[in-house]
Amino acid sequence: MVSVAEVSLIKVDRYYEYSERDLVIEAYKQLETKVKERVKPDVVIISSGYIESIGKSNLSAVKLSSSLGFRGVKAFRVENGDNGGAAIYTAYSLIKSGLAKSVLVIGIDKFSDLNSKQVNDFTATNLLYDYEYHLGLTLHSHAAILAKLYMKQYNVPYEYFANWAIKMHEYAVENPNAYLRFKADLNTIVKSQLIAEPLRLFDIAPRADGASIALLTEDDLARKYSDAPVTLDKIAGASYDYSYDLTLPSIRMAMKELDYKIDDKSIVELHDSYSIIAALELEELGLGERGKSLEQLDSFQVNYSGGLKARGYVGGATAIYQLSEVVMQLRGDFKGKKAVGEKGIVVSTDDLANSTFIISLMR
Amino acid sequence: MRISPSRSWRLKEQLYTITLGKCQECGNVFYPYQSICPSCGSSRIEKIVSKGHGKLITYTVIYQAREGYEKAMPMPIGLIELDEGVKILAPLTDAENIKEGAEVEVALRRITADSSNGLIQYGIKFRVIDDAK
Repeated sequence: MVSVAEVSLIKVDRYYEYSERDLVIEAYKQLETKVKERVKPDVVIISSGYIESIGKSNLSAVKLSSSLGFRGVKAFRVENGDNGGAAIYTAYSLIKSGLAKSVLVIGIDKFSDLNSKQVNDFTATNLLYDYEYHLGLTLHSHAAILAKLYMKQYNVPYEYFANWAIKMHEYAVENPNAYLRFKADLNTIVKSQLIAEPLRLFDIAPRADGASIALLTEDDLARKYSDAPVTLDKIAGASYDYSYDLTLPSIRMAMKELDYKIDDKSIVELHDSYSIIAALELEELGLGERGKSLEQLDSFQVNYSGGLKARGYVGGATAIYQLSEVVMQLRGDFKGKKAVGEKGIVVSTDDLANSTFIISLMR
Repeated sequence: MRISPSRSWRLKEQLYTITLGKCQECGNVFYPYQSICPSCGSSRIEKIVSKGHGKLITYTVIYQAREGYEKAMPMPIGLIELDEGVKILAPLTDAENIKEGAEVEVALRRITADSSNGLIQYGIKFRVIDDAK
């Protein structure tokens, strides 16, 4: 079995004075205060979508692990766009196979050095086809088309999507590590900046800076570092090209592999890159009814962190944030809205859920 | 320099025409063309140039630019179902009469340029040729 021995994260924000390296050091210093003895991982994995393109730093795993004093370890980066679940899956696999006893997974991304149109250009490289990128499309345009199809299919008004932003901001107010800690009302949302019709500012997760770290170990080793490790029970995953039929096949296939029914007792953090993607994920996970999921948000324990929408969207580091938050919920030391339950679920995807990893955790 | 001549040339079957692949084993028609079927994995693929005609399923207008595409803002983008059955997302042009269900055809248009006197990238857009009935 694999355990999450300890986790750390820094508040998601815009850190103009800090580099990616500085942010990782801050998160690591926090981890060091929590573990019982100094961490000596066999492997260091960096989960980052943009440290090479936006951060202008290749060979980042070697540089960052060296900065933290890990000489002689195996270090590499797992790039899977915004889906850091791939890095967690890699760490889990290394331990499960016996190749490593402990793996430090470091999530890091930083967007505040660039303006929105520059960031859009880098995130657009996640589009599946070359022609889409070179014709000037963005991820927002895909999400906007999905939102319009959804509104037509289920006969819901634009205001339906505002339910998500309202709820995420409500949760984020309680989370001291969230980026946007304020309440949002319907009027503010429907009058916010139009980005890609019908999507407005509040329908799109804000990209910001952050670093989060998870120490994964063999079960036997976990108690050397922590008195309250959490079991990483299983990771399932799938990749599947986006379509326009309002389903997310990658999540459906991952759920089938996971073979577990997520319900209102599960503590869930999902990847709400857009309000429309949150709706589709809730529906594909079986938590919400199709066409009604965003009216049922009080029926399940989802994204008490505030989600990408209000905790903030940290690119490839997002999954490590999600993992850390669910681990803390299971241990009872999450500093925001408290969930109740013994099973945690992290749903890590890219912006449009072409790629999914679902991580199941147990107290 | 953002625009690479060799890349633009290499992508000519995606950016200047709509070249589809048709799998001879499973019948899947897909865009852009590649020499292996993304559905069944067969390498028996026929290359077909689309007539560039189809129907506008729905559309959006994007207001937040990407670097290099500022002059195209606001940019209407349509989800188009080609007569060959493939759905693609592409910019719309000559966009006065955009309506869902409208008949559209492909047009070659300027997409972006490196600078006022730099390389120009052309590519496909779609224009409405008949309002939705």
